Amino acid sequence: MSTPVSLAQAGHDHAAAAVARVREAAEGVFEALREVRDAAVACVRPAGGARRPVAADLAALRPLLWARLRGGALPAHLPAHVTALIAGIGFIAAPGLLADAPWYLEWWQENPSGAPVRLLRNMDPASSAFYDYTHWDWYAGPSSGAERTVCGPYVDYLCTDEYSLTLSVPVVAGGSFAGVAAADVFVRRFEGAVLPALREIPGPAFLVNAEGRVVASNTASWVAGSVYRDGGSAAFSVRPVGDLPLSLVTAAG
Amino acid sequence: MNMARLAVFSPVDSTARVDAVVRRLADAIAVGLLADGEQLPSEAELAGRLGVSTVTLREALMALRQQGMVETRRGRGGGSFVRLPAELDPLARLRTFAADELRDFGDHYAAIAGTAARLAAERSLPSDLAPLWRTLDEMDEVAAAPRAAGSPGEACARLRRLDGRFHIEVAAASQSARLTQEEIRLQADIGPLLWLPHEGLSGHDETAAQHRAIAGAVRRGDGEQARAVAERHVLDATRHLIELRLRLRE
Repeated sequence: MSTPVSLAQAGHDHAAAAVARVREAAEGVFEALREVRDAAVACVRPAGGARRPVAADLAALRPLLWARLRGGALPAHLPAHVTALIAGIGFIAAPGLLADAPWYLEWWQENPSGAPVRLLRNMDPASSAFYDYTHWDWYAGPSSGAERTVCGPYVDYLCTDEYSLTLSVPVVAGGSFAGVAAADVFVRRFEGAVLPALREIPGPAFLVNAEGRVVASNTASWVAGSVYRDGGSAAFSVRPVGDLPLSLVTAAG
Repeated sequence: MNMARLAVFSPVDSTARVDAVVRRLADAIAVGLLADGEQLPSEAELAGRLGVSTVTLREALMALRQQGMVETRRGRGGGSFVRLPAELDPLARLRTFAADELRDFGDHYAAIAGTAARLAAERSLPSDLAPLWRTLDEMDEVAAAPRAAGSPGEACARLRRLDGRFHIEVAAASQSARLTQEEIRLQADIGPLLWLPHEGLSGHDETAAQHRAIAGAVRRGDGEQARAVAERHVLDATRHLIELRLRLRE
């Protein structure tokens, strides 16, 4: 028979398990991004840095990008709930990096009915009302030095019309910032990956980003998209998720 | 036999699919999500992404070509490119609506814009709001120096695109993908008409004040005020449009 003490202990263990599950899911995506980053460093320093890179140099990234998308040839050592998360992935060049294109994305998206699809965007800031990517947090974070950025959840009205997270890391080549490696994860799929662990926690439990936006939750009172503003409230305890910009919030007790 | 039930199980009309594709792409072009000159993915890719057959997609592209919204070039470097229509004469379009239809458009739009603004006030964080303040500053710059945009017509077109972007950014701050999609759809439908009373840059100050009132209420987290000013913004624009329509002779 359970005493209140052992119940509290069980809640604690479940919370620790949920943190581990969230870390695993996010780290799986960041692992793919580190691969993209390393491959991009080679692409943007053609001939060992002897000439400036051009857009065509980035085409060498494609086999890796396609393989890391949902439905691609994902690494066998990762669990299934981690490998099916990535809906879009690519390298975003720092403006002015490439000799032949001031703005450039090598960005690919999953395609449920066939081969991955390249995102094509008008990259001329003079004619496009929308696509100066340096303003977006997934670019601004890494470009200002953040090692790992989790942007969102946000409504991605430019690419997918989905409620999404974008995870990103900086790409530094030859000592200078060359761009960003990033991946899109739909919130509904991230929830699918972590909800089984959140559900085990007795009482309300939800995952928030660095600003307090709820990413996934086991309760309708704190559903994804709402904001947890009770910083320092005694009613909840907050656990960091490793060194990721995410925290698990649970009822205190 | 119940005819309505029979209709449910009859084959889906392929023209409905073509229309849906035309609608989706035309909306995106009209509000600038697909920019003038932008290359569309190949037919096979686009069909795959939209979940329709290539035959359906080709029919839709043909319709868009006829409307002047897509241009197809052959040969090396060829493909389908977005064309911003010179001007789908909005006054001619306005004539096709009766005043009560415009009123109804306004009612629907006010419901979407009002709810989006209320949810944005309740849910948005400072980082969600940075883009929309930037858009408002850009609008003020264009209005203050229309010559810098090239011509008054170009300044007006830029203001209209920025106005659309502001409202989409407010909708996205609501965290609702569906409300954002509906905002984009409504803008494509009646955005150019609602903008008609502003041709020639008149009334920018009043519009700018309303935009800042919406953004301010959202930033303060005042949901009811955000809803009220966003609804007022749409209903004022609708009222101006109805006045204009009633003065148009057949």
